[in-house]
Amino acid sequence: MSYYTLVTALPDLPTLAKCKQMPISRIALDRRLTMLTDEDQQQLKLAESLYYFGSKQPEMLSDQKLVYQWQYQLTQIESEEIRQCIQSRLEWQSLLAALRQRQQGDKGPEQFYGLGRWTMRIRQHWHEPAFGLETALPLLAELQPLMQKGAAGEVERQVNNWLWQNLLRIERSHHFSIETVICFVLRWGLAEKQIQNDADQALEAFESMAEVLIDAPVIREHIESAFEELS
Amino acid sequence: MDNLILALGWAGLYGPMAMGAIGSMIGCSLAGQAAAGALLETETGHGRYIGISAMPSSQSIYGIVVMFALNRELTLGNAPGLAAIGLLCGLALMFSAIYQGRSCASAINVSKIRPEIFGMSLAPAAIVEGFAVFAFIFALVISAGVPA
Repeated sequence: MSYYTLVTALPDLPTLAKCKQMPISRIALDRRLTMLTDEDQQQLKLAESLYYFGSKQPEMLSDQKLVYQWQYQLTQIESEEIRQCIQSRLEWQSLLAALRQRQQGDKGPEQFYGLGRWTMRIRQHWHEPAFGLETALPLLAELQPLMQKGAAGEVERQVNNWLWQNLLRIERSHHFSIETVICFVLRWGLAEKQIQNDADQALEAFESMAEVLIDAPVIREHIESAFEELS
Repeated sequence: MDNLILALGWAGLYGPMAMGAIGSMIGCSLAGQAAAGALLETETGHGRYIGISAMPSSQSIYGIVVMFALNRELTLGNAPGLAAIGLLCGLALMFSAIYQGRSCASAINVSKIRPEIFGMSLAPAAIVEGFAVFAFIFALVISAGVPA
């Protein structure tokens, strides 16, 4: 299958920080992705379901079962680079889950299940701030204090930036191939997630501001007097 | 053996044309597919995308000219020379057309995102064309030394 038509039919995605509006809707994107063969579409679907497992997980599985499922599904990804890319995304997921689990304190290292090369190290260095991975993963050392402060939004933003750069690197090293298409679709998903989060944050900020304003004595008086006039 | 040498001579005569055409087909097809995709994504500048996709067709023309330059009565004396020049020139034209097609596809892909770099993005395709011209010119020059 030739990917020349499809790749040039995909719009440019700006950097994640500048992404305020999706350049293409999911419906339009799906219409263009029909140019892929059935086999490629299956690979894309599998890659997306692994990359965005949280939003599309139909049933609640235990951590152990989830890791086994990921391991099995990863073997079905044909492209070596895409497999590694998804694996590193799931490794980050495991690292963040370990930080969260340790912070909550209800489970010990023996109950931790994660995917990838760091799992054993996490268990062995459970009580070290960044599981002894400061040198291998400098970003983790930056994220750990943020996680402790409860700045989950900032942690997610930084991890998403890292994932975006990783996808962009692979996309640019492959011209007109299935890897280019999969990386584009995964980046599209990250951008959409960020815009969705921004919208949610804006709504939350508006609601809290509205509550503060309504609670203000002067405004409350005005509202009460307005109600009295009406009644 | 004589027949094989003569057959190779004929292959050398027709090779530049045939291989240049094969390369042009593939190159134009790759660039054309990219242009078709870019049409979906852009509002203007459609003509230039289609224009670029025709760039790899020049190798067919070079092949035709080389074929005419090599065309002469085939003998056992000139067949090996014609075979060597024709087939090697044909290979050079074929590969240059294919890779030029890929360069054109990349040019279309990037100029779709940033139209202002359209001219600059064509430089790699033009450089590949330059090598095809080398193969073409020197095939003409060297064919003068092949006995008629």
